Amino acid sequence: MQVKVKLFASFRLKWFKEADKECLQGAEVLDIVKGIGISVNELGIVLVNGCHASLNTVLHDGDVVSLMPLIGGG
Amino acid sequence: MIVLNNKSKNAPSSVLYRRCTIDLAIQSVTFEDVPCRNLEDVMGGFGRSFQMLAERKIENAYCPENPLIVNTGLLTGTNIMTGLRVYFSAYSPLKHSSKGLPAAMWSAGSGNFGSKLKWTGVDEIVFENRSSTPVYAVISENEAGPHVSLKPAGHLLGLSSHEKIMTLNKEYYDAHFAAIGQAGENYDNVSMGAVALSTDNQLKSGEDKCRFAGRGGMGSIMGYKNLVAIVAQSTNKLGPITPEVRDANKVIVKGGGSARFQPTSQGGGGGTWANYEVLQAFFAVPENNFRPKGNDVVEGLFRENVEKSLDVHTEACFRCGIRCHNNIFQRNPDGSRGEFIAKFDFEPLNLFGTNLGIHDGMQAAELIKLCDNMGMDAISLGATISYVLDYNERHPDKTMFSGATFGQFESIRELVVRTGNGELPDIGHGLKRLSEKNGETAYAMQVKGLELPAYLPETNPGYTWAIAGGHMSMGTHMLLAKEGKTSLDDWVAAITGSGLLQVGHDMIGLCKFVGIGANHDAIVSAIKSTTGIEVTSHELGQAVRRAYLRGLALELRQGYADEDFTLPSQVFDSPNEIVTLPNFVTSEFVGELKKRIWEIFAPEMVGLLPNSDKHFGKTKD
Repeated sequence: MQVKVKLFASFRLKWFKEADKECLQGAEVLDIVKGIGISVNELGIVLVNGCHASLNTVLHDGDVVSLMPLIGGG
Repeated sequence: MIVLNNKSKNAPSSVLYRRCTIDLAIQSVTFEDVPCRNLEDVMGGFGRSFQMLAERKIENAYCPENPLIVNTGLLTGTNIMTGLRVYFSAYSPLKHSSKGLPAAMWSAGSGNFGSKLKWTGVDEIVFENRSSTPVYAVISENEAGPHVSLKPAGHLLGLSSHEKIMTLNKEYYDAHFAAIGQAGENYDNVSMGAVALSTDNQLKSGEDKCRFAGRGGMGSIMGYKNLVAIVAQSTNKLGPITPEVRDANKVIVKGGGSARFQPTSQGGGGGTWANYEVLQAFFAVPENNFRPKGNDVVEGLFRENVEKSLDVHTEACFRCGIRCHNNIFQRNPDGSRGEFIAKFDFEPLNLFGTNLGIHDGMQAAELIKLCDNMGMDAISLGATISYVLDYNERHPDKTMFSGATFGQFESIRELVVRTGNGELPDIGHGLKRLSEKNGETAYAMQVKGLELPAYLPETNPGYTWAIAGGHMSMGTHMLLAKEGKTSLDDWVAAITGSGLLQVGHDMIGLCKFVGIGANHDAIVSAIKSTTGIEVTSHELGQAVRRAYLRGLALELRQGYADEDFTLPSQVFDSPNEIVTLPNFVTSEFVGELKKRIWEIFAPEMVGLLPNSDKHFGKTKD
């Protein structure tokens, strides 16, 4: 199946802004994160189809996964 | 600090801090070594200063009995990374209850002033009364210990905060400085005066790279006291780096908590500037007075767009491994780095940029520079001006302050300058007073008399539980964007748990960007190795909790009532459907949240203030 991955802020600068990714049925967000090479420690926000999700969220064909780095105030 | 060996190392009374009391009216100086009453005293910062403020009944911030307390934290001036913090505490001329009473406030800043102050041998200065003429205080050290003198400051009047510091720097070797700008001098018309703190980088380069203790008008309190600047002169006394401190610094600099503030070139998030892009993904970047439009003009202040015309250089505070801040320089025609303009952090960048309808990096930088140099709090001034622009847009036939509206850079610039010069007291005294005078409070972005930082109120009901600034004293401002949490249980847990623990950094002397709590095991070990004081993580956490609750209790004693614990009513009455984050903050939600939180907090607050338990019953109903 195929999902669309959107990266933001420093992730976008380091990897890409938007890409289609092939993955196996039953794949989780973590599989996408690992595939790109993003450290889980640097991951701040995960959205699937615009809703907050976890690394263990199971993906479906056509999902849009948004990944954002940790952010902080000041 | 003196740690006595003849008592249990777990007893706070075995630790003494050196307090210097300066009576500005009669120019007397008293030193005393004060035994700590509790762990809050040992930790320092607002944990200690609020106990002194609690002993005084102050009804007007500008009165001689309102002390200005300048102190450090237990780890200020140590080798532990970010241990540079200094705290200014007093009853605030800006933050006040609906009954008109001033709230107790503290404001924290970095730079090197805090370390220098501690190295003079003084842990805390209490400025009592006010001087009849402008003075500056010099805290220095000699063979007998710390020494204080008060000097005439007439030659410093009218100078910017940076100019005052550089003038004093010519006279005092091996010193660092705290100074007010013109705004603090005009305290009677400006309640949002900030205190500028010198940095090594500033003194060496001559560029105006101060740090600021901005919130709550502590610079205005200095102005009222006719205290124009403070000089801390001492040799450097950084001790050896113990293995425990080295380990703590590794946790800080390599841990995920601080990574978000590191430069992108080091694999980090690029400082707080990164918030822009992440929040824009939800259309949650404050725009035109905290009302996002869902457009892409916000992107004008994305880093990559600013870098097209300006030079961005990432730097760190003295000896800090977290290179969190982005200094903005002009770019010369040949492409080389030109003149320094300002430091871009998320708050000032947004509140003097997008939130005023300014989408040009150079214009935002110039406004930030002006605000800094004149010595005002960027959050309070930016949010108050955005209200003025909003009001004028809503009332084109009945405008105020020459009718400036969003995006009108020259008019906005004039508002900044005139406010700093004391010519616009309606702006200078802050948003709560201005909006109440206008009779239009719904879109005044303040809570409990303090202007909101650059996070939308509809995303953070925790603002009502902040005790000294919306995002610096209650760590819930990113909770919705980060985790999408919208349940009552989640928000009760966050506010009464991890959220309040954020204030621990403002006791112990560390910056919030360390990315670990003040009660982290690595900090516990570092405390023991640098000071000999043995405490547990649990004890530190409990002390932080008591200090926070004491601050909350002080709010109640100063007249804060149920109606003060709320958000701007626009949040409830006119939700912004453009923001894509869940819309859950209704008046009913906030009401239920209050009920649940008071049930937890009220019993714990009993006994935290001298002779004042009766106050808790008043508000919690």
